[in-house]
Amino acid sequence: MAQINLNDVRKTYGGAIEAIKGVDLSIADGEMIVLVGPSGCGKSTLLRMVAGLESITSGEVSIGGRRVNELEPAERDIAMVFQNYALYPHMTVRQNLAYGLKNRGTPKDEIDRRITEAAKALEIEQFLDRKPRQLSGGQRQRVAMGRAIVRKPAVFLFDEPLSNLDAKLRVQMRVEIRRLQRSLATTSIYVTHDQMEAMTLADRLVVLNGGRIEQVGTPIELYERPATTFVATFIGSPSMNLIERNDLGSINAAGANITTDVKTIGIRPEDLVLGDHPSRTFAIRLTVAAVELVGAESYVHATTAAGQPVVFRVPGRTQIAIGEMVGVSADKRNLHFFNREGQRVGN
Amino acid sequence: MQNVIFPNRILPYFLVAPQIVLTLIFFFWPASQALYQSMMREDPFGLQSGFVGLANFTAILSDETYLSSLKTTVIFSIATAFLAMAVALLLATAADLVVRGKGFYRTMLIIPYAVAPALAGMLWLFMFNPAMGTLAYLLRRNGVPWDPLLNGDQAMVLVVIAAAWKQISYNFLFFVAGLQAIPKSLLEAAAIDGARGSRRFWTIVFPLLAPTTFFLLVVNTVYAFFDTFGIIHAVTGGGPAKATETLVYKVYNDGFVNLDLGSSAAQSVVLMVIVIALTAFQFRFVERRVHYA
Repeated sequence: MAQINLNDVRKTYGGAIEAIKGVDLSIADGEMIVLVGPSGCGKSTLLRMVAGLESITSGEVSIGGRRVNELEPAERDIAMVFQNYALYPHMTVRQNLAYGLKNRGTPKDEIDRRITEAAKALEIEQFLDRKPRQLSGGQRQRVAMGRAIVRKPAVFLFDEPLSNLDAKLRVQMRVEIRRLQRSLATTSIYVTHDQMEAMTLADRLVVLNGGRIEQVGTPIELYERPATTFVATFIGSPSMNLIERNDLGSINAAGANITTDVKTIGIRPEDLVLGDHPSRTFAIRLTVAAVELVGAESYVHATTAAGQPVVFRVPGRTQIAIGEMVGVSADKRNLHFFNREGQRVGN
Repeated sequence: MQNVIFPNRILPYFLVAPQIVLTLIFFFWPASQALYQSMMREDPFGLQSGFVGLANFTAILSDETYLSSLKTTVIFSIATAFLAMAVALLLATAADLVVRGKGFYRTMLIIPYAVAPALAGMLWLFMFNPAMGTLAYLLRRNGVPWDPLLNGDQAMVLVVIAAAWKQISYNFLFFVAGLQAIPKSLLEAAAIDGARGSRRFWTIVFPLLAPTTFFLLVVNTVYAFFDTFGIIHAVTGGGPAKATETLVYKVYNDGFVNLDLGSSAAQSVVLMVIVIALTAFQFRFVERRVHYA
C-alpha cells in the first residue's frame, strides 16, 4: 500500500535528447493509473523510471513517501508485468513464482502458501509444474501476473501486458486485471497505447504526448472535457472531428457564443445528428464520401464544402448514398472549442 | 518440415553430390583405409604387409603406454575444455558490461583464433622455456621451480594453457552471441525479483546459456582430442617421458616416427570410436538438461 509521487521528473538520453520533459504526478494509495499515448511519447520510459530500470536524470520519484531515485529495482517494493511476460523459460511455473520470494529469503512454507493462494486466484493451479513454453499466451500472462502478486508489493507496474494477446483474450484479461487490482487494492501504473484498455481500466488516465503530460483525469472527464486537441483526438473512437473555424462558412452557430480566440471546433461523431434541426445551435452541410457499417451503427465519412473530413454516427440501417449532400447538426453543449495553441477555451 | 518436390529426378542428386563427394573422399576413404591398415602388419623393411586380424587392437589395448596415454588424454581434454570455456565465459560476461569500445575489445579477443596452432605453441614455448622464457624467469625468481622440460605436470599445465588459449577466442565469440540472445526483459525481471550479481548469473544467465555451453562442450572436447596435435608437437613433443603424449599424438609418433603403421592405424580407429561415442553420449545425456528457448 503506497502512494507514488513524481516531482518534475526528467529523462535525458546522451545529454541531448529529452524523452521525459518534466512530469508531475501524484498517485493515491490503491489507485489504478493508466499512462496512455502514442508510441514514442515516453510512457514506457516513465514506467521504467518508476521501476528503477531506467535512471532518473532529474526530479524525484517517491513511493510510499520514500525517495527511491537511488534504490535498486528490488528495493523499491514493486512488481512489474512485462509485455513479453519475461517468464524464466528454464523454470517451472512454480519456480517462476517462487524466485522473487526465495531471493528475499522468505521461509519455504510461506512461499508455498502464497503460491497456492496466487495460483488459485489466477486459476493456474494445474500448470504449476509446467514450463512456460508449454503454456498458451493467456496462461503465460496469468503466470506473469501471479509472479507479481505473490510478492505482495506496494506497487504493480504493467508495461502493455495485453498487447501480445488476441482480441478476445485481451478483453477477458482486462476485466480480470481490473478485478484483481480492485480486490488487492494495490497502487498500480498501467501503460498502454490502446485507448479502450485505458478507458476501461483506469481510475485516472494520464495522456502523454512527446514526454509531457497533456491531461490527467478520470476517463469520463477526458472524454467529455478534453484539455487539448491532442487529447480530444486521442480519446474516443472514431476520434473527435476538428473543424477549422474559417471553414465553417455555412454553419448556423449563432447561439454558441464563440469567442474570437476559438480557432477549432471539436464535435464527437456520436454527437452529430443527421438532419437540420432548427433548435440545434450547430448545423453543417456535408458531402458523403464513404459509409462504414460496424453492426448496430454506421460511421459516415463526409467532407465539408472546404474539403475537411467529418465523421458522424448514424443507426446501422440508415440509407445514405455516397455523394449525397446531407445536413447534420449538434447541440451547443456538445461542442468543444480550442484556441490556436490547441488548448481548450470556454466551458 | 515441408517437403520440397523437384520436378526433375536427377537434379537433386547433382545438388547434394559435392557434399557427398567431399565426405566420401575426406572421411569415408581415409577411414576405410585406417580400418584396413589396422588389420595389417608391415614387415620390418616395409616391403610387404600381412593380414593379422584384430592382433593390433589386442596389442594396443594391453599396452601400458597406450593406457597411460589414454589417461593423459582424458586429463588434458577435461582441463583444456574446462579452462577454455571458463575463461571465455568470464571474458564474455565482462565484454557484455563494456559500454565504450565494445567492438575493439571484442576484436582484440578474437585475434588469437587467427594464430596457427604451431605458432601458438611456439609462443608459449618461448615464454615458458626454462632457459630463455621471460615468464619462466619471473616464475623462478618468485620461487617456483619451473622446469617443464623435466617436470611432467608442469609440461601438462603448459600445453593445457597453450591449447586452451587458442580456443578461448572461439568460445568467447559464441558466449558473447549467447549472452546477447538472452532477452533483456528477463534480466530486468530478475533485477526486480531481487537477484543481483553472481546470483543472477547462476540462476538466470547460466541456465539460459546452456544451449551455447553444450554446443561448446562438444566442440571443445573434439578440439582437445584431435586438433591440439600442433600445439603439443611444438611445445613439448609429447614429453617429458610421454607425460603429454595424448592419443592423437601417439598415433603420429607410432605411425610416422616409429613406423609401426598397423598399430598406429588401430589407434586411430579406436580414437574415432571414442570421439563418436563421446559425442553421442553428450547429445544423449547432457542435452536433456539443456533448455532450448
